[in-house]
Amino acid sequence: MNRRKFLTILGSAGVVSALGTAKVAKASATHTFPYYDNSYGVLHDTSRCIGCRSCEEACNKINNLPKPDRPFDDLSVMDKKRRTSAYQWTVVNKYEVGGKEVFRKTQCFHCNDPACASACFAKCFSKQPDGSVAYDGSQCVGCRYCMIACPFYVPGFEYDEAFDPLVQKCTFCETTRLQKGLLPACVEACPVDALTFGRRGDLIKLARKRIADNPGKYVDYIYGEHDAGGTAWMVLAPAPNAEAAIPTANPIDAGHTFEKIGLDTHLGNRPMGEYTYGALGTVPMIIAFWPLLFGGAYAMTKRREAMHKAETESVIKTAKEDVATAMDAAVRTIEQNQGQQAADEARKAMVEALKAREASKAEEHGAHGEGK
Amino acid sequence: MRNSKTLLRTAASVVVGAACLLLGAGVALADEGSSAGPAALTMFPVSEKANPANANMKPVIFNHAIHEGKVEDCTTCHHTGDPVACTTCHTVEGKAEGNYITLERAMHATNIKKRPEDEVTPQSCVSCHEARYKENRQCAGCHAIVKPQRNAQWCATCHNADVTPAEMAKGRADKYTLDVRGELAQRTLKKSTPVELLSPLDGPLTVYIDELSDKYEGNRFNHRRHVASLMDRIKDSKLAAAFHNNPETLCATCHHRSPLSKTPPKCGSCHSKEINPAAPERPTLKAAYHLQCMGCHDGMNVARPLKTSCVTCHKVKTAE
Repeated sequence: MNRRKFLTILGSAGVVSALGTAKVAKASATHTFPYYDNSYGVLHDTSRCIGCRSCEEACNKINNLPKPDRPFDDLSVMDKKRRTSAYQWTVVNKYEVGGKEVFRKTQCFHCNDPACASACFAKCFSKQPDGSVAYDGSQCVGCRYCMIACPFYVPGFEYDEAFDPLVQKCTFCETTRLQKGLLPACVEACPVDALTFGRRGDLIKLARKRIADNPGKYVDYIYGEHDAGGTAWMVLAPAPNAEAAIPTANPIDAGHTFEKIGLDTHLGNRPMGEYTYGALGTVPMIIAFWPLLFGGAYAMTKRREAMHKAETESVIKTAKEDVATAMDAAVRTIEQNQGQQAADEARKAMVEALKAREASKAEEHGAHGEGK
Repeated sequence: MRNSKTLLRTAASVVVGAACLLLGAGVALADEGSSAGPAALTMFPVSEKANPANANMKPVIFNHAIHEGKVEDCTTCHHTGDPVACTTCHTVEGKAEGNYITLERAMHATNIKKRPEDEVTPQSCVSCHEARYKENRQCAGCHAIVKPQRNAQWCATCHNADVTPAEMAKGRADKYTLDVRGELAQRTLKKSTPVELLSPLDGPLTVYIDELSDKYEGNRFNHRRHVASLMDRIKDSKLAAAFHNNPETLCATCHHRSPLSKTPPKCGSCHSKEINPAAPERPTLKAAYHLQCMGCHDGMNVARPLKTSCVTCHKVKTAE
């Protein structure tokens, strides 16, 4: 193995690895979750929401969450922007649009293709055919990658749990109510139908109809229809003033209002996971190739070292044999010319001289080594 | 010319106002609206074609005299500053002079772009009326809920001139003088009789709304007081009188979507307690009640009761 061969192998390994990555990126569609046609969703019409917190109370009750410090009829909690947590799966926040108070409930949006699921290496999250994003904590290792991945900052962590802390978020009341044919608790509690439950496809049509039937009332945009790859829970926002009565259908205009009610319209319309499948797809490649690559390089170095050693040894051996042969020849000549005694003395002297030389050499080598 | 007139009028007001102050007595100002304009007149869908399409609506009787007194000056409607007939520029098909704005749009458009401050923003009949009912508290409650509809009943409120086909053809060709159009209008007006609205006494005194009573008790809704208050607020409005042209019109805000009747169906007849899969957009009964009450109170800027204060309208149910 020489340098050229080594580089050739390294290069081809790189190409194979790159090809593999490209294939993964292309095939990402198969990595995303299937879009369930008949999945359920909820349309949140913020123009109707009155900020009564009934949904929060219903959620707390049905999920047996701990009692909050301040009661649910204390509306002053809305003076501060709140986030969902492990013990508050839904919160209503107060915003201002065009000088008017607007309330928005937030909870897990139950994405069509959830970012939390794409980030979880323990496969705790799954998109269910009914539309909910379910969490199964039995394998959860508590890495909280899901919390970082979520574009809506939804999952909460049980930080105060010493043993086996879990991630908690809105369940869409899947097992507690949906499967029994009941509406999610918050939807049922809403006094003004600011939350409408239905099949996601129907809700989009309904939202469009509501926008069309009430010109000037809504921003012409359904948040969650395409945002972050589409979500089961979608939001309508009230138009800020009469000036917006002329529909522009411009998502940038919509963004202004949605930004005011705390929703980001710049998440793009691709599922969050799709952005990372390409890069994450190389991980198996690295795991498979790198031991081979570095193991090979190590073996080659070792082999070269062994070969070098063997070569050196053989050279030294030859040299030593040469000296011995020359010495023998010299001694035999002395024996022939000057007799046995002289030959013995000469051999002795020569051996001593050799020894002395080797000793001095070793000393020199040693000193040299120490000097290093 | 327009400016000089306004100037004169302002000067006159100032003089009269000063006189009032000096005399220290309240002198009622004369109605400023009177001018040389026509009284009621018939407005025909004028067209350049002999048999135009989309011009079969009955003509409109427009009471010029009443409207004169209600607007700032002539340019509110005659937006070019030239007091000519609308149909001079806006015909059924549209003309270059009218920027190809058809007569239908000129009368009904509501999405009119606001012009720069030094220009006059044109108004249509509908856009001006819409502004009135939106800015007046007493109208805004119901009209936050009631949306204009495109049906025979709504259109006939204005399109009600009684003309023969021959007159119609002549009118379309713009062959009538202003006087004749006035006479035609008078003919229809003479036939019409004022509408006697239902009285608050025709409805129940109170309605006990308790079909959904759960956490809270039902609400004792003072039906008569609500109706009486609404009627009292608009009793002087000529606009309301002209457009509330059925005895039950006022009832139809809350008792909507059913045929006008003295005994309309209950809310629960259409609004089911559970969500109706066949009509998911229809609010459930609980939401229907709340949206209707809150929608009207919001529109009228009624500060109390607070929307989030359940106990203002409902007693807390006590455990038995």
